[in-house]
Amino acid sequence: MDATLAGHLQELRRGTVVVASLTVLRTPGYGYSLLETLSRAGFEVEANTLYPLLRRLEAQGLLTSEWNTDEARPRKFYRTTEQGETIAETLRGEWKRLDTAIGDLSTGSDPISSDPVNSDPVSSDSISSDPINSDLGSDQ
Amino acid sequence: MTSLVDRYVFTALRRIPEQQRADIDRELRASIEDAVDARVDSGETREAAVESALTELGDPERLADRYAGRPAFLIGPDLFPLWRRLLTTLLWTVLPIVVTVGVVAQILDDPEIGKIIGGAVTGLITVGAHLCFWVTLVFAIIERTGAGKADISARWSLKDLPKYEAHRATLGQLISGVVWATLLIAGLVLQQFTFTDVPVLDPANWAFWWPVLIALLVLRIFYHVWVHRVGGWTRAVAVVNAVLTVAYTVPLVWLLATDRFFNPEFHGFLDVEGADVRSWLSGILVAVLVVGGLWDIVTTAWRAERARRGLPTKIPGTGGYHY
Repeated sequence: MDATLAGHLQELRRGTVVVASLTVLRTPGYGYSLLETLSRAGFEVEANTLYPLLRRLEAQGLLTSEWNTDEARPRKFYRTTEQGETIAETLRGEWKRLDTAIGDLSTGSDPISSDPVNSDPVSSDSISSDPINSDLGSDQ
Repeated sequence: MTSLVDRYVFTALRRIPEQQRADIDRELRASIEDAVDARVDSGETREAAVESALTELGDPERLADRYAGRPAFLIGPDLFPLWRRLLTTLLWTVLPIVVTVGVVAQILDDPEIGKIIGGAVTGLITVGAHLCFWVTLVFAIIERTGAGKADISARWSLKDLPKYEAHRATLGQLISGVVWATLLIAGLVLQQFTFTDVPVLDPANWAFWWPVLIALLVLRIFYHVWVHRVGGWTRAVAVVNAVLTVAYTVPLVWLLATDRFFNPEFHGFLDVEGADVRSWLSGILVAVLVVGGLWDIVTTAWRAERARRGLPTKIPGTGGYHY
């Protein structure tokens, strides 16, 4: 794959694993099961990223964990907390908003560009409010 | 005998804080076993499954860094610009001073060219390495502990924008140049009569060198007025400045070096435990004259060259962390 494309894809996907994990773990699950679920769902995530991420989300209070020793192999089960669910809800809303906004930009570009009076305010507005960049900035 | 899994887990845990180890140990082993089982179920041998599962998990030290939330860099993008600015500023200010002091001390001690160059190079490398190391160490500690990070990586504001010299010579430069030359002439004449009972400088030079020096200083005054009227730093200005500077530096250095500068009858030098203060003072004056003269010639030529190309020259001391 083209290195430039790979870099941009990585940028775009960064953060989606958090939303996906918080969403999946509404029903309790352990590290490897979550890894399987996510990769079946089409999220490219590696074990060495996911396992530390789960502990970080737990430290932030978005997940809670419990050791299940009922089976032969004891496993640490994670579950999304109320706070985690609230945040996941907000993140999913943001994801939808971005999806809609990008959809609007790509489908609405033709009629707007044909109208020079309307095109200026729309394009400058969407750049100056800049929700994408400011979110990325505060995330890091 | 330790298994591959044991070796992997031990290696990862070594770099994880003690209080998290037991929990991560259990969880990591369970996750590895799960992955191995899944691979065995899909037809791999157990040995191959362990190998591929661990290979996929990757470098255990990297995994440990991620578990511990440690940054995988020494100085991050927040601190990097400040680190770069501070280090360049320090290197540019401290190294010239160290080399100059070292060279002067060596000249006074044993003026042999090999020792002078060797000392300068050694000093340059030693002090440079120390500066780089300690500054980087302090920044790496700040990066890891986060102490004071908010203070020093303060937001950039317009106040941090550097100022640039006008290509015109300013009135301030004219006045300071004229006043300085006038003071030197006055000092040279007055020391003969008023400051001390016996003149500090050798009166024999009134036969030739002191009048020459006064004439050169008067020329210097005319030079400053001329620069101001020309209005800026041109190549002609740079050349005249270089000629004038060489014209008074060379005779003065020669007088100092051949011990004809100070009055042999003057014994008012501080007596520092029998040390030859007069020759020390001569050495220091030679160094100041040579370094100062070179500095003046180079900076004027530099200004002229930048003015000719229309490039701005930053005023030292402006622009945030710059000095």
